[in-house]
Formats: sequence, C-alpha cells, structure tokens
Amino acid sequence: MVAALTIDALEVDFGGFKAVDGLTTVIDEGELRVVLGPNGAGKTTLMDLISGKTGSTGGEVRLFGRDITNRPEHQIARAGVGRKFQIPSVFRDLTVHDNLRVAVSQVPGVFRNLRLGMAAADRARIEEVIALTGLEPVLDTVAGDLSHGQMQWLELGMLITQQARVILLDEPTAGMTQAETLKTADIILSLKGSHTLLVVEHDMAFVRKIAERVTVMHMGKLLAEGPMAKIEADPAVREAYLGTGGLH
Amino acid sequence: MTRNTLFRLGDWGIYALFIVIVLGLPLMMDDVFWLNRIAKYLVYGMLGIAIALSWGYAGILNLGQGLFFGLGAYMVAMSLKLQSYTSMQQGSDRPVPDFMLWNAEPGAPTELCCIVKGSWLWLPFQAQWFGMVMAIAVPVIVALILSSAIFRLRVSGVYVAIITLALVLLVRLLIIDAQPVTNGFNGLTDLGWLTVAGIEFDPYMVSTYYIVAVSTCAVLLLTRWLVSTRAGLILQSTRDDPNRARYLGYDVAAYQVFFFTVSAGIAGFAGMLYVIAAEFASPSFLDITFSISMVVWAAVGGRSSLIGAAIGAILINTIEATASETEMFQEAWKLIIGVIFVLVVLYMPRGLAGLAQDLAGRIADARVGGKQRARTGAPAE
Repeated sequence: MVAALTIDALEVDFGGFKAVDGLTTVIDEGELRVVLGPNGAGKTTLMDLISGKTGSTGGEVRLFGRDITNRPEHQIARAGVGRKFQIPSVFRDLTVHDNLRVAVSQVPGVFRNLRLGMAAADRARIEEVIALTGLEPVLDTVAGDLSHGQMQWLELGMLITQQARVILLDEPTAGMTQAETLKTADIILSLKGSHTLLVVEHDMAFVRKIAERVTVMHMGKLLAEGPMAKIEADPAVREAYLGTGGLH
Repeated sequence: MTRNTLFRLGDWGIYALFIVIVLGLPLMMDDVFWLNRIAKYLVYGMLGIAIALSWGYAGILNLGQGLFFGLGAYMVAMSLKLQSYTSMQQGSDRPVPDFMLWNAEPGAPTELCCIVKGSWLWLPFQAQWFGMVMAIAVPVIVALILSSAIFRLRVSGVYVAIITLALVLLVRLLIIDAQPVTNGFNGLTDLGWLTVAGIEFDPYMVSTYYIVAVSTCAVLLLTRWLVSTRAGLILQSTRDDPNRARYLGYDVAAYQVFFFTVSAGIAGFAGMLYVIAAEFASPSFLDITFSISMVVWAAVGGRSSLIGAAIGAILINTIEATASETEMFQEAWKLIIGVIFVLVVLYMPRGLAGLAQDLAGRIADARVGGKQRARTGAPAE
C-alpha cells in the first residue's frame, strides 16, 4: 500500500491552546477514512491544517511522500488535495456547468488561461462527473438557486473534476434529507479506491454505511484508530463521549 | 433554435449595432462640435467598460479609477504641451511650458532641464511617442504595484474602495502641490495637437473622432474577449467565492492583480484619448466626484455587462449635456442623477443591461415556447 496522506506529529498552538496536539496517522491510497470525535476535538482544524487554511506550529503533512506542510492553499490544491466545506461553497452566480468548467482547468496561471474553449479530455471528464452526480437537469441553473443537496453534490463534483487525489470532506451530509444522505453515501462509496478520502461526519448511520477504518480524536489527540466495530467497543472512546451518551 | 442561441445572437447583435452606430455617426452628423463632444462621451464609455471589468467581473469596487485616467491624461498632456506654439515662444530654442516661466526663480535659465526644480522630468516628453507610451505604462505600473500589495494581503470589499479613494485624493493633492512642474490647480492647457506621421489631428476633425471611436470599439471587443476566456471565467469564480477558487488550485491574487491592472490600463488609455479630444488635463480628473460618477454610469448601464456600462456612460453624459443647457435642469441635474442611481441600485441592480436581458429572455421564451406548442399541438395560452 502506498501512503497517500501522512500526518506526522502535527500540532497547532493557538496561544497556549493546542487544537491539534501531536497527531500522527497514515492514510493509504484509495482508503476511505472517517474521523470521529466530540465537539472541539479538532476535526475541522485538522482539515484546515492539511489544506493550508491554518498554519501548523509543529509536525508535517506529506502527500504521496511530498512535504506540503504550510504551503499556500492553492499550491496544496494543485498538489492534489481537494476540500469540501461544511457550508456548501460553490460559485453561486455561475451556472452549474460553469462551476465545473472552472474546476476542470489543468493549468492554474492567468496567461495560460487566456484562451477560449476547452480540451476534449476536459469536456469528457465534466460529462463523467455530471453522470456521477446526476446534475444533468440543472446544468444551466445558477448554482445559487440549487437545493441544498444539489449544491453539496456540485461541490463534490467539482472536487472530482479537479482530479484531487486526496479529498477532504467536512460533514458532507449536514442538513440533508435521508434520501439525499443515501445518494451522497453512494457517490462517496463510488469514489473509494480511485480517490483517497478523509471524511469528518457526525451522522452515525451514515458513518456505519461508509466507514472502514475510523480515527477518533479527542482534545486534539488521537484517541483510537481501527475498524468501526472495534472503535464502537473501545472503552476509551465511550469514555470520551460520556455525557452525550456514548456513540449513537 | 434554442433559447441560448437566440440569446447569444441577440448579444452579438447589440455589439454589432453599437459598433456600426459609433463608426457610422460622422456620416449622419456633420456638426463637428457635437462629434467632438461625443468623442469625449465615448471616452467615458471606455471608463464604464473599465469599471464593469473590475467591479462587475472581478467584484473589485475601485473608487479611484480617476487616478489611472488622470495619470494617462497628464502623461500625454505633457508631451502635447511641449508641442504647443506657446512653448516655443519662451525665449529658448527648445520648448519650455509657459507656466514654468511664471513659477521660475528670477535669473533661472529658460531651459527645460533646470528652469524650476524637477522640470528635468519633462525632458523625455519632448518626444510625443514617449508621452503616449507613458500614458499607458504609468497607470499599468502603478496599478500593478498597488494591486499586488492589496490582493496579496487579501484585502477585499469596502477596504479596497477606501484605499483607492484615498489614493486618488492623495495624488490629486500632490499634483496641485507640485505647481512649478504641473501648473497646479490650473492643469495643463493650451496644448498642441496630436501629430502622427506629419498629420495633425485637430480635435474638431472627423479623423480625431475616428481615433477615439475605433479605440473604443477595440477596447470593447478586447475586454469582451478577455472575459470570455477561461481566465475570465476563473476571475468570475474568484468574485463569487475566493476561497473555493483557492481550493481548486488558483492563485486568486494573481487573477485580481491581472484584471485590476488591465482595467487601469484601459483608464489610462481613456485619459490619453480624452486629452487628445479635449485639449487639456486638470486635477479635476482626480476629483472624487469624477471617480464616483464612473461607478454611477456603470451601475445605471449594468455593471455586469461591458457594453451596458459603456452605453450607460454615453447615455448619461449625453442627457446631462442636453439637460444642463436647459436652465431649469442646470442646478437640479446632480440631484436627478443621484435619484436615478438610488433607484437603479434598489430596483434594477443589473442596470439597463439587466432590463434588456430580461426583455430578450421573455421574447425568446415566447418564441421557443410558441414553436414547442406548435409542434406538440398544445393550445396557445
């Protein structure tokens, strides 16, 4: 197995408070990893550190062996990390099709993008993503007019068109109906193998449906890691969740 | 024909119509006084395009566009000043601007190099091409430095507006303060004519109108191409959600800097053309009211439409010229424009262009819908 994402003793210190404190974990290529943890465990901060939104104060993040620690966001993205935010983040004034067109670009520079039209390969990839996400009927709709679920799928679709090798998903089913959650689970499961995924999620039914290996965080530290069944039986995990009645 | 094709045809139709009218105007109108006036309004139209590019497409509200317009204007005015008849009449073999003599210390040599402190800055402007090149180069370089600082630091929204506003005021003060080399409040007047290959371009000649008209059409088509490219699309995405664009791998600041600078270059070019048509450059180009007027023109015409913003600028100025000659409107004109601006912002945020698009959309719907009904045999409503 090739390590897609290596997080090595990662740490961030917000003036004495360590939101992520010496976390180490390795995510293999093609793996789907779920990160669990009570509120304030540092899950979203972990994603901020990987994607470059927040600078770390210690440790390293490596993508396929390449050090990407504390690089600017767009360079980390170009290296192959895609990120979906908790609140859907799409280009609201552009049509769905244009959103995907923005995501598909092979070259990031201004001058190399001073051209009309698109390569055939790019068009083909957009078609694939449209089929996968089922956005065909709303292609010419302005993204701001989409339903909450469609917006989430569009954002997910943009990450796939972007050809992100590692995809970070922050609560991808937040605010979704049950039917939408099921469809999202299907999309995520279909990505497994070809993409490496790191998912933060609270909805346990959803987690059970998609999870293989689970990492549990608590107070910025790694609490437990392993298959879902083992994690649910782990006394330390139950302890951390006490007061919220354990994992449910 | 689908709705989208109809729309695109209509869009290109409006561009074609605009270009035909602008280029054909001298055939219909032989009043050179009005032609010169309209040339100035076309320059304003160009400023509308520059605002639409930065405000509408990039989401950058620049309240100091007059800075770039003014810099462009002054650069070419310096060259034209040295070409004027009076500059040769100051008792030297080489041209010296008349106002420098008025500002000179007693006994100072009547030479451009050293008649007043800093007058050597004028030396290269003896070549007309130098002034014309600088009219674009200086705004572009200033914009490049300014926008690199602003956008690398991720300054956005109203703060950009405040910085640009402050800067245009600052430069205006500097120009007024440097009276010995800029003629201060009075600006540069009594300019010579643009001379290309031995031909003098009298501002009240049809050929001068054509210089402005062709430039305006070229700028319109060039910016239209720019926003249609992938870079233009990516720019719009950075306007909607800069973070998302960053996480797709784009260096957002690079896009903002590029288009801000293009917009400034257009404004500088417009300043140069204005001087050629109006024969003066003045610190009033850097007045806040002028920079804000540009934003009003673009808002009324439609800030997310290049041609809409251009038409808005031309229309408002033409109406203004007519209305302010009527005594009744003279005083009230600024008020009327203010009310129009407020109404547009409140009820027509996409301006005249948005209105036209909605109308075209309805017509297209009716036609496409009608055909579909005819095919399926459904009754018309």
